[in-house]
Amino acid sequence: MERSVSTSPGKADFGPPSHRPSPPTTGAAAPVLYVARRRISLSGALVTLASIVIPLALWWGVAVLVTQMRGVPFPTPLDTFHRLLALARGRLLVDFTIYRHLGDSLRRWGIGFSLATSLGIISGLLLGWSRLLERLSMPTVTVLQLIPGLAWVPVAILLLGIGERSTVFMIAVTSFAPIVINTTAGVKGVNELLVRAAKMLGADGRTLFLRVLLPGSLPHLLSGLRVGFANGWRVLVAGEMVVGTGTGLGYSIIQSRWTLDYAGSFVCIAIICMIGLIVERGLLLPLERRTVDRWGLARTT
Amino acid sequence: MIEFQQVSKLFPNDETGQIVQALQDITLSVEENEFVCVLGPSGCGKSTLLNLVAGFERPTSGRVLFDGRTVRQAGPDRGVVFQESALLPWLTVEQNVDFGLHNLGYDRDERKERVQRFVSLVGLSDFRRARPHQLSGGMKQRVQIARVLALSPRALLMDEPFGALDAQTRDHLQDELLHIWEIERKTALFVTHNVEEAVYLADRVVVLAPAPDGIAADVPISMRRPRGRFSDDMREATMALLRVLANLPCCVLPSSRDRGTEVLSLQEGG
Repeated sequence: MERSVSTSPGKADFGPPSHRPSPPTTGAAAPVLYVARRRISLSGALVTLASIVIPLALWWGVAVLVTQMRGVPFPTPLDTFHRLLALARGRLLVDFTIYRHLGDSLRRWGIGFSLATSLGIISGLLLGWSRLLERLSMPTVTVLQLIPGLAWVPVAILLLGIGERSTVFMIAVTSFAPIVINTTAGVKGVNELLVRAAKMLGADGRTLFLRVLLPGSLPHLLSGLRVGFANGWRVLVAGEMVVGTGTGLGYSIIQSRWTLDYAGSFVCIAIICMIGLIVERGLLLPLERRTVDRWGLARTT
Repeated sequence: MIEFQQVSKLFPNDETGQIVQALQDITLSVEENEFVCVLGPSGCGKSTLLNLVAGFERPTSGRVLFDGRTVRQAGPDRGVVFQESALLPWLTVEQNVDFGLHNLGYDRDERKERVQRFVSLVGLSDFRRARPHQLSGGMKQRVQIARVLALSPRALLMDEPFGALDAQTRDHLQDELLHIWEIERKTALFVTHNVEEAVYLADRVVVLAPAPDGIAADVPISMRRPRGRFSDDMREATMALLRVLANLPCCVLPSSRDRGTEVLSLQEGG
């Protein structure tokens, strides 16, 4: 996507003192300051197509090779697609429909990630604001980030027992650290001048947090959400596999091997990938475009 | 209106562990509705002086009074215009001007009326929905001026507000500032390293030398406004100040205090 700024606002500064700067000769009532253009070119479309086709072809190649050499039925993209259609029509996978699995996984992730996001942003704002709090808690948060997702299994089971809540806990705890770390960095990166200006303009603590520090840390915060989301989504699968939730995409992946339904587990993997892509492209990227890009701030990712 | 009573300010340098003296024993007062320019070489503590009145910094010793009271924190009665754009990038021109009004609890109608009045006072009505990154340097400074004026401050504190602008824009904004200042009489403290700018704007020019020297000259400029930029009076006053400045030590670093060996280049930009 190409962007162009259509005016040269500097012109408006010249002229006699009493003269109001008029928008450059666009003639329109309101000046058009920013024009975003989307150009769809043939080569661009081809590259996009190739970025999808090449990995699929590689998968297919591997599937054929493995099936021939090792004599095991490695599902091809086509097998997976057929299985997906069957499951979409309501065929059961590990005792439940694919919709039930998907819904349960999304619910667990939703709860866990919302917890991590709200707690993470609040903690990040506080840690970025107070040097003392940061020095007190940042070592812990850093260590938290280094713990692999699966290592939380015993902790989760001890704290919350086997089941739903343990999975949610694992999602929350693995998403939390990157959100805190990035939000803290974001707040610390907010220009001191803006904080001074806001105080001079009578901003109280609440206004300072909500209207200065929060938007100011948004570029970092969004990259924290990206990493947090990915961590949580990954550990969701692991969590369901181990903690024994009875439903969910991750649970199905591990269970379907007992029935030799490898295509079924591949369907689950594909769905997990698609959802990841949808959240990234459909949620985080548009959010970034509507805020960080529109404000003229630099992105951090 | 603004009073410095034997003010000193020390800064610890975190990297070297040294203590840098920014101001030593400054006593100065600015009268109500007076336009005072503080002139001096880079690094001599001009900005510190302004930050003390603004309430961004506390003096190490001495007292800073505003309207008879000791300055304790920043507030809307002392509107600060920063050198760099300190506008909130996520707010439009209108929203930036409204920010302070909202904080101070003006009601909706008055906020709307004031935003409109002050945005048009600085000539940016056509750009009221633009965000700061879409504006030129000069326009950003106009917005900064508008957002502090909207709060009816008692004093305007300006820290090299036109220092980063090209000469043409700067001249133009100087005229506009004077024009506004004639309408909305306010006490003005204006920091600059540009001699012509000081002479053109001020009722009084205070030349600040690096600590420990303090105030090197305090010169009233009595020419009537509007002043001709190229008049003989202007040239004379400028030359007099340049002579004062040429005798000051350069002061970017605390170590370079070999007085008189280096002649200050006054025209350096930004």
